[in-house]
Amino acid sequence: MQTVARYRPSPALPPIHHSPPARAAARPAVRATPAAMPVPGDIATVRAARRLNRAAGMIATSVLTDSAMEHYRGEFHNRAMWTPIVTAALSLAVSVHGHTDRRTGAHRGRDLVYAAAGLTGLIGTGFHLYNITKKPGGLCWQNLFYAAPIGAPAALSLSGLMGFLSERVRANRPGSSPIVCGFSAGRAVAALTSASLLGTVSEAGLLHFRGAYHNPFMVLPVSLPLVAAALLANAATGKSRVRRRLTRWWLRATALMGFGGVAFHAYGVSRSMGGWRNWRQNAFNGPPLPAPPSFSGLALAGLAALGLLEDHPDD
Amino acid sequence: MTDPSAPRYPGYDVLAKRHTPSWNAITRKVIDHRLAVPREPRFFTPSEWTTADAVCQRIIPQPADRPPVPLAALLDAKLLANVGDGFREGDMPYMREAWRQGLAAIDAESAAQQGRVFAALDTAEQDALLGMMQRGELSGPYWNGMGAQNFFAQRILTDIPGLYYSHPTAWSEMGFGGPASPRGYMRMALGRRDPWEAAEAKPGSEARALRDNRHVV
Repeated sequence: MQTVARYRPSPALPPIHHSPPARAAARPAVRATPAAMPVPGDIATVRAARRLNRAAGMIATSVLTDSAMEHYRGEFHNRAMWTPIVTAALSLAVSVHGHTDRRTGAHRGRDLVYAAAGLTGLIGTGFHLYNITKKPGGLCWQNLFYAAPIGAPAALSLSGLMGFLSERVRANRPGSSPIVCGFSAGRAVAALTSASLLGTVSEAGLLHFRGAYHNPFMVLPVSLPLVAAALLANAATGKSRVRRRLTRWWLRATALMGFGGVAFHAYGVSRSMGGWRNWRQNAFNGPPLPAPPSFSGLALAGLAALGLLEDHPDD
Repeated sequence: MTDPSAPRYPGYDVLAKRHTPSWNAITRKVIDHRLAVPREPRFFTPSEWTTADAVCQRIIPQPADRPPVPLAALLDAKLLANVGDGFREGDMPYMREAWRQGLAAIDAESAAQQGRVFAALDTAEQDALLGMMQRGELSGPYWNGMGAQNFFAQRILTDIPGLYYSHPTAWSEMGFGGPASPRGYMRMALGRRDPWEAAEAKPGSEARALRDNRHVV
């Protein structure tokens, strides 16, 4: 504890950034600059950053599986359809790396991959939009429902965003109040996660509307995360010195809902003709199995934001 | 230029789907029944059978390198079951009657013109007689009021190709997957092939089609 106190620098210090060569070069100086040295015990910023790595990894897993399945279904007829598989796999890999990494300081390799994931998601949205507009009828509801899903590539961007936030949180010197892009880290992550939840809700809403909400549980992913987004927005803008137990439990419920969604989608697949025995058709034509855990990933990010707000109250 | 006699779906056998999710118990039962059709007359008399068989062989000549689709047997089974189309033109008798009259008339025309029954003619003579029927040039007393041209268009050209393409051998030949139930399609867009659909050999992609068709299940 005493050690941590000794390391507390002024918040005006620049963020730490390390990459393997930079670390090697800095090694002789480690003892002289305690900030770059692994600090014994649990560092709040690293803990929060690792939570965000897990959130990014969870979303990347969802995107990796979903895009692999859907693009296989599309026969990879455009070479660019391999891109999300590569970038989501990389995002997952660096998220695992980040989860196991207990050091402070942003990691250049992870930063690069997360940036690539974010960019791929944006470009992918452009590709999907192009696919929609080139179909007869152009940008109309029919094509939004049945052409390339407009919201899916954005999930890859969200994985990149959560990873990016993780690295920015980690870049803060231990003991300081973490800052992300000039904002209090907890508030920034809460606000961005809230917005991300809204985007994901709109995608689930579009596709569950296409499914006519034929099962009452289909309403859950357009209601639970909506409330979670509102609670997180409140946390992002409200007082930081309050215990947000409702928000925490609501986010946990949202995370659980993401996993429950996989079970519901598996049930949906089983209801198709031939059921799971005919999985080679039904797993692709039925509800997408890997999609719902995107909500779990965002809920994890929301929990990371709450942790940051509680560890580093800024008012 | 591709060889027109080369198979369009090389290596594809629709019967390989028998125990996959593409077929269910009903499909297997129907196909088994069709494959096991008795190769002997049950509805036709032996001479009608011989004539029907000769007509079928001229309407759809089959390659010698595979077991033929038993068209006469399928026709006999269809007439025995007597499940018709549900409609007919005013001057056409019912299906069974039309076939009996038509086959008798074909033999009678053949005997009058060549002195032999239809099955005893050589293929060129058979084609000439069928051509006359198609063009409406046969109107002898043997037709019993049924138009020879109508018999050709509405029975011969309807029943025989229909029976041919009801047989799995013809399905394999044209890359048809059999019933689209219980398994449907995964790739809904035009021109996309599901892993359980036959692969068409396009110029330059014959080897790939052959490879794909070995895994069509």
